Amino acid sequence: MYLSSTENGRSASPEGLVENVSLLSLNRDRFWRNLTLAPAIVLFLALTVLPMVNLVVLSLHDIDWAQGLSSWTYVGLKHYASLAADSLFKASILNTLVFSTVAVSVQMVLGFALALLTSSIVHGRLFYRTVFLLPILVPGIIIGAIWKLMFSFDFGVLNQMAGAIGIMPRDWLGDATYSLASIIVVDIWHWTPFCFLLLLASLETLPQDVYEASDIDGATSWQSLWYITIPLMLPAIAVTFVFRLILAFKVFDEVYLLTGGGPGTSTEVVSFTIFRRFFTEDRPGYGSAMSVTTFALIALMIIVVSAVTRRKGSTS
Amino acid sequence: MNVCAKIRGALIAFTLPLAFMNISHAQDQVPITIVINQSPWFAGFQTVVGQYQEKTGNTVSLDVNPFAGSLEKQRSAVRSKESPYDILIMNAGFFIEMYKGGFLSPLNDIDPNFALDKDLYTFDDSVYWDPSTNKIDAKTGKLMSVPINPFIPILHYRSDLYAEKGLKVPETWDDLLANAKALNNPPSMYGIVQRGARGTFDVTYDVLPYIWSYGGGLLKDQKAGDYSIIVNSPETKAGMEMYLKLAKEAGHPSTAGQTQANVLQNMATGKAGNIIAVLAASIFDDPNQSAVVDKVGFAPPPHAPGFQSSPGLGHWLGGIPKNIPGDRQKAALAFLNWFQSKDAQMAYAEAGSPPVSRAVLESDLGNQPKYRWMKALSKGLTTARLPFFIPESAQILAITELGFNQIISGQTTVNDGLNNMAKEMEKVMTAAGYKAPLLPDLKD
Repeated sequence: MYLSSTENGRSASPEGLVENVSLLSLNRDRFWRNLTLAPAIVLFLALTVLPMVNLVVLSLHDIDWAQGLSSWTYVGLKHYASLAADSLFKASILNTLVFSTVAVSVQMVLGFALALLTSSIVHGRLFYRTVFLLPILVPGIIIGAIWKLMFSFDFGVLNQMAGAIGIMPRDWLGDATYSLASIIVVDIWHWTPFCFLLLLASLETLPQDVYEASDIDGATSWQSLWYITIPLMLPAIAVTFVFRLILAFKVFDEVYLLTGGGPGTSTEVVSFTIFRRFFTEDRPGYGSAMSVTTFALIALMIIVVSAVTRRKGSTS
Repeated sequence: MNVCAKIRGALIAFTLPLAFMNISHAQDQVPITIVINQSPWFAGFQTVVGQYQEKTGNTVSLDVNPFAGSLEKQRSAVRSKESPYDILIMNAGFFIEMYKGGFLSPLNDIDPNFALDKDLYTFDDSVYWDPSTNKIDAKTGKLMSVPINPFIPILHYRSDLYAEKGLKVPETWDDLLANAKALNNPPSMYGIVQRGARGTFDVTYDVLPYIWSYGGGLLKDQKAGDYSIIVNSPETKAGMEMYLKLAKEAGHPSTAGQTQANVLQNMATGKAGNIIAVLAASIFDDPNQSAVVDKVGFAPPPHAPGFQSSPGLGHWLGGIPKNIPGDRQKAALAFLNWFQSKDAQMAYAEAGSPPVSRAVLESDLGNQPKYRWMKALSKGLTTARLPFFIPESAQILAITELGFNQIISGQTTVNDGLNNMAKEMEKVMTAAGYKAPLLPDLKD
């Protein structure tokens, strides 16, 4: 059977035979590899690519209902062209950028600081880790209820505390001056543990011999942090940052539960606008165009952030 | 006859009626599921559903959701191959899209003999739909739904404080302003708390009684087919300015952030002198939920001088999806038929929910202190009107919810806010094929 390859013009020498056998084995390996990967690829296509293709197709149509049946009308890029004139979408993009940048930056700094603190604690490390992780375990709906009560103008603990020290009550959620900042505070409280967890895991894998060498060389704690810890952790920092940025860009529950996007457009975020246009207004075509555009924006953001961190990493 | 025969006879005589009783309570319809939203009147509906199950032995499940969530579920259900729900409880703002989309079965297609009880309100004929003209029409249309709830905005005022300060129940907005000012003592008491937050059909619903009662509105006369945009008319502006005046001079400092729950909470905790909201008597008279039990009075919303009170219909209708099997449609109609009976309506009112039967709402029950809201509701219903006769209401509401909230929060001026809303509404209406001329922009 192996010799049949000679009939196809391949060498019949012992080396050639070995080569043929290893090629065949490689092909067989490749076949099995592809076969075993196939279910995952099919699943990926079915759950990720197909819905995306469906979303793009939907974004090129208007859908109407009559007699219980839907009719699809092809409208080309009309929905994409309309996005530029949609003041709500523009406001939501701007708010989302501000929200995600500020919230994630603060979460990274706090998460990193907490990770550093926790890793240096000898006694009660498990206790502190558990306490710092608690907010991430609370379901979004509970977080919304808790913070809505805390921020309440009339009954909230924040205004009662402020009143106790003679500060006028603030309308944390109903005044455009504070509303986005209030949502950011809630998001920081909720998601800092996520950054903390990932950064702590990375921190604990750093090689100790480098620190020992730096100690011998007389490096201060600050120098160790700046010249050893941060450069070594840069890949983990970048991954955590990008991961959180993606999640922050998709923020929905906190806004939905606390402000409903208001007052005015002050806390309108892109997921909420998509929800409104797609579901509440029942405009699936237009809502899909918004979703595809947002997807493209997030992809672009990831590419830029990855490129910057890669360049920074190679420089370090 | 021996003793055994006597005992047997007695047993038969005793058990026979029980057997018949069991038969009359045996389930004669397939189980049904109703999709409904969580509202202040839900508890009463739940009680009545319980009574229906007890009396008929039929099973009814309730799928309870927030306002917007219920709409989503209804849309998904009727667009699927087979709806999981047998009755959709539809709000005044959105039922027309269900009619126009052809998602509901006309009730006489299920049972040709079914008829609405003569005492039931039809709420601007919103239970009828003519698919040939795509319009609400009681004469040519088919019966599509049964009214479930008669919600309109009602003035809730602190009757104890009114009596204490010698205030009269307000007829006009100026009367209400004067009363609200008399009670205003922030932060322990706000003269009035108004809903100003954005939602699905929230701030628009609460602004409508103001702007309608000054002769303004959103669209000129939808019922007559006149879709001229009047949201930036001087009359609408006058109504909006009255809303803002109340908020500024005697209202809550965070009107733009007030949801319905906040408004009700302020009244229930004794921090509001007046609110205009859908009927929440069952909350305010419940000692477990309220600090103002028996201290709240009810009246139709005030109006501008020379106009009548103009509450918007925020009623709920029960419709049966087309995409369910016949036995489920029949079971759903059996429930609706029972629900519209006078006994059920009486039980509904006694459970704290406003009935949709005029006979019950205008009955002697209204003379009892517990049901003191009935007279205000029945009076308000005489001048209440339907906010939307068109299926594009969701898109219009998206514009007005944002626009009114921006005006109330001070993000934009009244003129700019109303002018912007008018332009955006014109786009939606024109794209949908209506003639919707614009008024000239309001100028300072």
